[in-house]
Amino acid sequence: MTRTLAVARYLAADAWRSQRVLIPAALQLAVLAVLFGGDPGALPAPWGASVLALYPVAAWLALSLAQTEDPIQRSVTVVAAGGPGPVAAGTLLVAVAADLLLTVLSVAWPLVATPYGASPATVLLGLLAHLAAGLTGTAVGFACALLPRIGWSLAVGVIVVLVTAVQPWLPPVGAAISALETGSGSLLVPVALALALAVGATALLRRT
Amino acid sequence: MLRVEGVRQRYRHGPPVLAGVDLACDPGVPVVLAGENGSGKSTLLRIAAGAARPASGSVRRPAVVGYLPDRFPARLRMPAEVYLRHLAAIRGVPAAPELLDRLGFSGPRREPMARLSKGNAQKVGLAQALGGDPGLVVLDEPWAGLDAEAAETLLALLVTVSERASLLVTDHTGRAARIAGARHVRLAEGLVREDPPGPADSRAGAGAVTAPLPATAIVLRCGDPEAVAQRLGVAGRCTGDRLHLQVPAARADALLLDALRLGCSVEMVGPA
Repeated sequence: MTRTLAVARYLAADAWRSQRVLIPAALQLAVLAVLFGGDPGALPAPWGASVLALYPVAAWLALSLAQTEDPIQRSVTVVAAGGPGPVAAGTLLVAVAADLLLTVLSVAWPLVATPYGASPATVLLGLLAHLAAGLTGTAVGFACALLPRIGWSLAVGVIVVLVTAVQPWLPPVGAAISALETGSGSLLVPVALALALAVGATALLRRT
Repeated sequence: MLRVEGVRQRYRHGPPVLAGVDLACDPGVPVVLAGENGSGKSTLLRIAAGAARPASGSVRRPAVVGYLPDRFPARLRMPAEVYLRHLAAIRGVPAAPELLDRLGFSGPRREPMARLSKGNAQKVGLAQALGGDPGLVVLDEPWAGLDAEAAETLLALLVTVSERASLLVTDHTGRAARIAGARHVRLAEGLVREDPPGPADSRAGAGAVTAPLPATAIVLRCGDPEAVAQRLGVAGRCTGDRLHLQVPAARADALLLDALRLGCSVEMVGPA
């Protein structure tokens, strides 16, 4: 575990210096600024749009994180960590931390910037919906990182995100967005499913 | 302690690169791996270090491994010292930035290493591989890109390291032949075989009592002859400020060049 944490700290520092992860993060901030800049209407419905944005943003972020190191540098890190497992787990930790940060920002923004308040239950609904989208995006990003070329990664990522985001019945992301539109429903199952997907994609990442 | 047993590896559309390699490596007996370009040395080293998994076969290795890949990247985003600190933390050992000093690292330490010279990047790679008392050290062409002085320092470092750690190293410069007590093996056609250096390709004569003929006698004048002999990695007789050497003729020119770089003056050169 200490190795995983050390890998996470190293990867976070390296990713921060590479600044590639800043682009998707900035994109999410831009969406939030536009979305909650005018009069978005009462919560939680407007969060549907920020959840929808967070899904591809998290996938992009996870893909960038998984490919921050060049392959030779990565081999040195894998040897130092005693195998690919701690490196993959460390990558997951950094991605989840980024998801959490963007989730909190997305939920807090309208509460601060618009006159609409929200009950604790609604805030929880918003948090879980963003988390479900963020973690699922992380899973998609990691899976795309396994593809040999960035063009394939991009194509597959875009298709998966487009297809799965707009199915209201489909957990985790589709169900999360429809729950925000109706303002009801439990999102524990979608979040658990999203977490399972992210962990599963991390296990795939070990094989690279 | 390193045990490689029955390791096989092949790439698509090619013959097997490793066809059932067995290799043991223990502290005190460094292993120098030779082989032609493309014979699979780097692949074997990657597998031995744990950077890649073999298609089949088993590898047992200590918990803390130092690995220097072929072509250590010259473009790391972090400052050298920060990178070394992170890698040491990942290994769970104390960082050893003083190795940079010993190797004569001359690049920036606290600024991001935008683009290091080949030699300085290699020194960062070596410092990360040798620091923190690893149980196994795997070095792929460690002398590549090093200046003469750093190359000698590395030789001395490796002798110290190999007392406590298993050391597996490849080398094209001939310097590894001067690692005392090393076992020499060769990778060819996917298999590792013993490959003791014959007198013809022994470019060293390190500590050799009977220097292979033809030999060259050299007398150097320098401030501290014993230290110079150690730096040059040769045994010699010291009298006052003079160092008397006998080396294989093929090695004489390189040794003279190294000696001049170390600030010695050449008093006499002739057939032994």
